[in-house]
Amino acid sequence: MSDGRGTLAGQRILVVEDEFLIAADLARSLKGLGAAVIGPVGSVRAALALLEKEAAIDAAVLDINLTREKVYPVAQALQLRQVPFVFATGYEQWVIPREYETVPRCEKPVDLRALISLLSL
Amino acid sequence: MTNSRERTGAPNSDELLRLIVESATDFAIFSMDLQGNVTSWNKGAERLLGYREEDMIGRSAEVVFTPEDRAAGVPARERAEAAYKGRADDERWHLRSDGSRFWGSGIVMPLADGSGFVKIFRDRTERRAAQERRRESEALFRLLATNVPQLVFRTKGDGGRTWGSPQWIVYTGLSLQDSLGFGWLEAVHPEDREATTAAWRSAQGVGEYYVEHRIRRVPDGSYRWHQTRAKPVPETSGEGDWVGTSTDVHEMRGMQERQRILLAELQHRTRNLLAVIRSIARDTMRMSASLEVFSTEFSGRLGALGRVQGLLARSDGAAICLREIVETELHAHGGGELMGNVDINGPVAMLPAASAQTFTLAIHELATNALKHGALGQASGKLNVTWRIEHLNGAPHLVLDWHESGVAMPPARSVRPGYGTELISAALPYQMGAETELTFGPTGVHCRITTALEREGAQDE
Repeated sequence: MSDGRGTLAGQRILVVEDEFLIAADLARSLKGLGAAVIGPVGSVRAALALLEKEAAIDAAVLDINLTREKVYPVAQALQLRQVPFVFATGYEQWVIPREYETVPRCEKPVDLRALISLLSL
Repeated sequence: MTNSRERTGAPNSDELLRLIVESATDFAIFSMDLQGNVTSWNKGAERLLGYREEDMIGRSAEVVFTPEDRAAGVPARERAEAAYKGRADDERWHLRSDGSRFWGSGIVMPLADGSGFVKIFRDRTERRAAQERRRESEALFRLLATNVPQLVFRTKGDGGRTWGSPQWIVYTGLSLQDSLGFGWLEAVHPEDREATTAAWRSAQGVGEYYVEHRIRRVPDGSYRWHQTRAKPVPETSGEGDWVGTSTDVHEMRGMQERQRILLAELQHRTRNLLAVIRSIARDTMRMSASLEVFSTEFSGRLGALGRVQGLLARSDGAAICLREIVETELHAHGGGELMGNVDINGPVAMLPAASAQTFTLAIHELATNALKHGALGQASGKLNVTWRIEHLNGAPHLVLDWHESGVAMPPARSVRPGYGTELISAALPYQMGAETELTFGPTGVHCRITTALEREGAQDE
């Protein structure tokens, strides 16, 4: 993606992922394309606190399984704010509840180009 | 007799009787005197018993009885019963002239003038055998139907029940009477009744009934999944008789569901692990001056990741023993011969599975650095890994110290913050809510990791 350096310039993207190494890697990749990363955070509570604090969020990447909890409350909050988001997950589609079945799913390890096109950024 | 016959003149009754007796060739009809000697012998008797009329007249009719019956006095008893009651049923094995046996079925009656008896009977061997077979198969069916673990039933082709096995009655608590017709639907889960009856509507066309539904069991009133099948019994006529079974598949369905979830979890873990490996590869690449350095470092990190996967697999998602992680990593960095200058000491402490991976990678980096520049690589070096459990703010915390001493430290300039530093200062706080300190003292590295033991989630901001 050497030619995509400014692809995400000015975009504020929330990253929710409980595994540090994955979160850091994704954040670094997004920043490399010019995005401002909000987070990353690894729990629902931390993510909802960030949503409360941050007025401008353009998109979000959510891991579904956050150790002991699922990310769905965050997904619901994002839907209410009409912020586009994708699930970055190792889960198959059938595991995802019906109310989120239209949310784009990005399989791990995440392909950045696919992620960007799913978010229509 | 018809009217037309009366008009043309009916035959006299002797003539009529003669016609009947002669034409009834399916029936053996013969008469005897009071002692049982034959006085008449029709064509049917000739055919059935194999003796000709002229050979039998005047001879004892006892020859048609089996030797056993003759010895038991059956012929005389039969005549006595007929004389006394007006008739005697004659249902027994008889003997033909060739010695073969057949099952004769008929009656013996006294003649009106008291001069003897008439015996009328026919060969019912086939029918009797069929009845016998039917009785046997019926008994076999009952035995099978009442002893298999399935709930067995008989039904009409429309689903109307005619019989339910004792297992059904015991399982559902519905009496046989209450189960008949469509009463059995009472034991089917209300949500499954529509599918259950719909399956009967299509069963006759298909020639088979099949449905999966929940059936209520006493005494706990819980509904359990059953697979119910029925098929028409062959060779029955009309609306037909069907036999069916309901098999408890509750456990199996549960296991299938658990297996599906297990597979999804496995898929999830595998994909996460791949993402972690990619992250480690990229970080290692970023921090490596050459491909040789990358190769060594990456192999080492992959090894540590592999070892902790082994521990995780054995713990099956439960917490992992801290000592096991520490010992496994130190052994991997030099094996037993290094242990002379290594001291590991601490109480039993369990790390949540979710933290184990990052924690292992951090220990791996400390050990790698100790081997390269520190206590594990220098003869005078000494490494103490000690931990204790402290109550901070009322919650148990693990306080772990990695303490190297006796080390001739390299010049400060050459100690650049590396991957290990990032893991300890950023990954551990993020992943397990740990507080960490990493200092490069004059005689060796000191690292302290403090983390709440109950905390199993990622760190909140």
